[in-house]
Amino acid sequence: MSRQLLLEHINTPGIRGIKAFREKGGYSALEKALKTMKPDEVTEEVKKSGLRGRGGAGFPTGMKWSFLAKPDGVPRYLVCNADESEPGTFKDRYLMSHIPHSLVEGMIVSSYALGANTAYIYIRGEMLYVYHILEEAIAEAYEAGFLGKNILGTGYSLDLYVHPGGGAYICGEETALLESLEGKRGNPRIKPPFPAVKGLWQSPTVVNNVETIAAVPHIINMSGDEYAKIGIGKSTGTKLISACGHINKPGVYEIELGVPVEEFIYSDKYCGGIRNGKKLKAVVAGGSSVPILPGEMILKTPTGEPRLMSYESLSEGGFAGGTMLGSGGFIVMDEDTSIVKNLWNFTRFYHHESCGQCSPCREGTGWMEKILHKFMDGHATLKDIDLLWDIQSKIEGKTICPLGDAAAWPVASAIRHFRSEFEDYVRNPEKIKDIKHYYRLNNLQPVS
Amino acid sequence: MENTSIKVAYINDQPYQIQDGDTILKLVRRNFGHDFVPTLCDAPNLDPFGACRVCSVDVALVQGGPAKAQASCHTPVMANSYIYTDSTRIKRLRKNIIELVLTDHPLDCLTCEVNNNCELQTVAAKVGVRDVRYPEGKNHLDRKKDLSHPYMTSDLSKCINCGRCVRACDEVQGEFVLSMAGRGFDSHIIKSYNDSFFESDCVSCGACAQACPTSAISDVFESKSIAVDKKVRTICTYCGVGCNLEVAVAENKVKSIQAPYDADVNTGHTCLKGRFAFSFYNHPDRLKTPLIKRNGVFEPATWDEAYDHIANELNRIKATHGPDAIGGISSARCTNEENYLMQKFIRAVIGTNNIDSCARVCHSPTALGMQRTFGTGAATNSIIDLKYTDCILVIGANPTDAHPVTGAKLKQFAMKGTAIVIDPRRTEMARYAKHHLQLKPGTNVALLNMMLYYIITEKLEDTSFIESRTEGYQEFKNHILSLDIANLEKVTGVDRMQVKAAAIDYASARNAMSFHGLGVTEHSQGTYTVMLIADLAMITGNIGRRGVGVNPLRGQNNVQGAADMGCQPHQGAGYLDSYDPEINKMYSDFYKVKVPFSKGMKIPEMYDASIAGKLKALWLMGEDNVQTDPNTQHVMKAMSNLDLLVVQELFMTETAKMAHVILPASSFLEKSGTFTNGERRIQKVQAVVPPIPGTKPDGQIMVEIMNKMGYAQAPYDPDTMLEEISKIVPFFAGVKWSELGDNGKQWPVLPDGSDTEILHVESFKRGKGKFQVATWKESEEIVNHGAEFPYILTTNRELEHYNCGAMTRRTGNVEILTDDVLLIHPADAAKHLINDGEMVCVISARGKIDVKAKISDQVKEGVLSSTFHFPDVRMNDLTSSVSDSEAMCPEYKVVAVNIRKSKGKYKNPELAATQNAV
Repeated sequence: MSRQLLLEHINTPGIRGIKAFREKGGYSALEKALKTMKPDEVTEEVKKSGLRGRGGAGFPTGMKWSFLAKPDGVPRYLVCNADESEPGTFKDRYLMSHIPHSLVEGMIVSSYALGANTAYIYIRGEMLYVYHILEEAIAEAYEAGFLGKNILGTGYSLDLYVHPGGGAYICGEETALLESLEGKRGNPRIKPPFPAVKGLWQSPTVVNNVETIAAVPHIINMSGDEYAKIGIGKSTGTKLISACGHINKPGVYEIELGVPVEEFIYSDKYCGGIRNGKKLKAVVAGGSSVPILPGEMILKTPTGEPRLMSYESLSEGGFAGGTMLGSGGFIVMDEDTSIVKNLWNFTRFYHHESCGQCSPCREGTGWMEKILHKFMDGHATLKDIDLLWDIQSKIEGKTICPLGDAAAWPVASAIRHFRSEFEDYVRNPEKIKDIKHYYRLNNLQPVS
Repeated sequence: MENTSIKVAYINDQPYQIQDGDTILKLVRRNFGHDFVPTLCDAPNLDPFGACRVCSVDVALVQGGPAKAQASCHTPVMANSYIYTDSTRIKRLRKNIIELVLTDHPLDCLTCEVNNNCELQTVAAKVGVRDVRYPEGKNHLDRKKDLSHPYMTSDLSKCINCGRCVRACDEVQGEFVLSMAGRGFDSHIIKSYNDSFFESDCVSCGACAQACPTSAISDVFESKSIAVDKKVRTICTYCGVGCNLEVAVAENKVKSIQAPYDADVNTGHTCLKGRFAFSFYNHPDRLKTPLIKRNGVFEPATWDEAYDHIANELNRIKATHGPDAIGGISSARCTNEENYLMQKFIRAVIGTNNIDSCARVCHSPTALGMQRTFGTGAATNSIIDLKYTDCILVIGANPTDAHPVTGAKLKQFAMKGTAIVIDPRRTEMARYAKHHLQLKPGTNVALLNMMLYYIITEKLEDTSFIESRTEGYQEFKNHILSLDIANLEKVTGVDRMQVKAAAIDYASARNAMSFHGLGVTEHSQGTYTVMLIADLAMITGNIGRRGVGVNPLRGQNNVQGAADMGCQPHQGAGYLDSYDPEINKMYSDFYKVKVPFSKGMKIPEMYDASIAGKLKALWLMGEDNVQTDPNTQHVMKAMSNLDLLVVQELFMTETAKMAHVILPASSFLEKSGTFTNGERRIQKVQAVVPPIPGTKPDGQIMVEIMNKMGYAQAPYDPDTMLEEISKIVPFFAGVKWSELGDNGKQWPVLPDGSDTEILHVESFKRGKGKFQVATWKESEEIVNHGAEFPYILTTNRELEHYNCGAMTRRTGNVEILTDDVLLIHPADAAKHLINDGEMVCVISARGKIDVKAKISDQVKEGVLSSTFHFPDVRMNDLTSSVSDSEAMCPEYKVVAVNIRKSKGKYKNPELAATQNAV
């Protein structure tokens, strides 16, 4: 097993409670930061660590923090994005439900660094039981004097709230999340202004992913420089990967960034190879939104090097030949998987989750789903492949928020790498004879 | 090298200069015109939204370099960027977006209201969509139309989800009725909690209908249809905001009204009165022939008969009783030119100073109070100053009902900034305000004194302003500091700490603006209250720059103008003292006839004189004094005692019924002239349709009677009338009809034509501002009747109706608000066993009426509130003849009454309603 930070004590009995957590060194970073460091020094350590946003975009966290506007007399906020809803991603839920205090401690240290006196954890509405776990952890932290007024006598005060969402994927987009947190409809905001200038309640706000925030105490404990030594190149530290699909050992793995993809899929330390000895067909490496890659392309970069689990290596080759680390939702597909059917499923998701604000996304996601439905029905023509391509190209990069991109990329990459399979659906409709069964199973109606 | 600071961006490879705050769209529009880049979700009076993406353009960092599509409406321009507005891929993107939108749009353009005026249609034509490539599938074309409302309609099958209506409701009106429900493909517009328009909280301002780019939301008048002959720009006749209207005319009939986006006053917004309540103008009830009452019955007459009859009577009365037995009451609903003619007629032709106007019953204390402190009785600033202020103080005004367009702006401000509301009722403004000082009616002076006290004790006064610009401060300060705060706290019923907090907010704001309405003036201490408001502005130095000042919210469209034109006994045209010998000579020279020198009567004095037999004839220009003036029985007695009552009217009002001669006048839609709004803005009223046959514009009537009585007055037309006025009214010196333009000019207008947005910039009109002392005194109404009548009734207005309702009751507004109600606190209602909707008998020392109860905590215990829009309730039977000690403005706002549950003898309200309709 490589270096474990976030999940090191995952198997410790009672680690969900504050007692066991503290016995394993929990809240030491809080004491260190609040008692011995200035807020800017905390930010400086995070900068040095090279920590990058774990929600998907991979933006350097320290830099994001340093962009936070600090006008006089205006409060600042830290908001934790715990609205984890990307298909194939379940690492935050795992971390929060097992070691909730790692997030709570991270929130306190990060809020201290940012000068925020109020912080929020915006949690996905469906994760109600995790919400209760966090509530309990926060209550324990208040009781221990880690939250509230004058924390540990340092004069620093922080109130931390958990806010459950209403069950919309779009609220994982940071500005939609802020709208929702303010009690409004979760529509993404136009940018600029960015949240760092005008975020929650029109005040400077930092929005970070659960895993990002949970990493901060480790950085404080071990120093930014030490943290930066883990991983490879600009992909420093450890990363939680939610592995799922046709593998022998699905689950959440903490990896040191830089592990070869091949090792990750086939090693017994991680996924343990493809189920039933089948061949690898394709991988969606970072949650449903990132481009799908055929097996051979995920294992080797376009230059023939072994591909590594890192921000840089996975995106090597651009969109034509690479993908993204994204949120670390690692979906493995074996040789029997229908890429078209899988894509249709993804497209249904984005159609359902588009907020409806931008016309290309609102209408386009619907039409992509309908056209894919035609493929499933056996009514599609070859022209429909081009039409699908055309629609996705008019959504990608043309919308207020990245949901449009997220909806377009899977379509683009599936056509790019598996066009023949689409053609197959047109030419050999008998291939889809199982579709009626699929309809029944999912309570769906064929397109009229 | 002054060019170094100039920033440029390249549009299609040509450099263009960037201004601060430019978005790409702004830059492109400035240089290539409004429609160069197509848009759908953008509207002139809304913030950028960035949702339709049709306005996307390519942006590259180097010439011809790799470009990214950006929504131009909200993306700030980057210096030295290369913007390509029409690249092939952008064209394809736009086409694809429209194509997608059209997949869920009924393509029934030929029968659609907005055919040829539809933004979707225009953009679709421009991007060249010929067919829709997407297969048939689920759509929203089966959505039902909503025709529940008398004005608003919706057909959401035509909705393209641009969100303009929702944003208009939020950003323009601030009502938050419309919102988007559902997600993604299912997102759709809802009203309130998914109600119909009629059931929702909609205030029918129509901003959404105007904002909608298709006909998904529109109105019953089809205001977006192009089936019209012409559009005429004019000014709204209702309140003193002075909204510009764009009136569509077809076959010489008014078809619909919209609000021009380029209007300074209302920027594409009006309220339901301005936009929809115009159908009174050709209502069958319109008077269409002169009527002479003979033996108690009105008989139709020709104009000449009527004029002869009037002239004979007036000459007879003048000969037997002298000119001072004749009086005239002008109307703030009429144009400046008509008001000028009216006072000229009374002064120069009749020969008396018995001229007054309805400003007497609304803002006369404002004029007087501000003249005594500043020297000019007019708003010091403009409404646009709301953009520059940090704190607003709203006293005795309910702008969201009475001045809806300004009210919406004030409300928008209150939602973001510091607002202080002083009002006995929890008005809509009060709900949004940071401080609501809910005082007992009639204690404005006490409360303002408390505020002044705390400003002084907290040392928040602006000493340098006080020293350099004002006089009388020391004496004023001594007086304020001698006040018994504990007593004032008891009198007002407002916690002193609350007053202190509000005073501190007002005084410490960088710029603070005050607004006041009739809740200030219609009191026995109205003028004193106005002076204290002026004191507040002076003590904090809030005068003479943007975002400050004292700003009366004028009730009627031309209250400012009626006073400017000299419709008051003591001041002639231009506020010059009519009792001053020199000025008298000047007027005499100008009118080429000796004008009177004797003291004239104000409206309440005229009533008393009539009852005493001293006033024999009265001429009313468009006023319904019987319904609107206080103490109806008193007014009716005065009217019935006259030998001659001439009324110029649109309808057979309660007052017209008592007239001896009725002259049918034309409405604002049928005549030209100017109105001066509450911010001194002289704006052009332009005839939209010819006068209804049989009627004449009031100005023409005045000119004809003047000539009939031997005074040579040129025919009425606004151009020559304004020329005459500009020669006698000093602050109209540079006003010319041809130069007023679309947005008018704010007086004083200098001879060179330049106008004035802010008054008292360098010095006050009277030199130094004068601090005026005022001590609170209980109203005589309470002193005399308070023991017997323990409740205080205060009168107010509702959004849907205007004053006596003669106009709005003849429009669809009456379907929205059907009757007057009495607001009563739940505890008081319980005490008298009154349920919501039951009839209450309200009794004052003058009379009693029955009115429907509405239980509400908008009022405090012991306070009742009602309106007088409907004649059958006769609310003014209750009100008193007590008036402001200085300006004689009646005290509508404090009436001592008692209540009990009606015994059932009242008129059946349903029966009354049917009678009303007939």
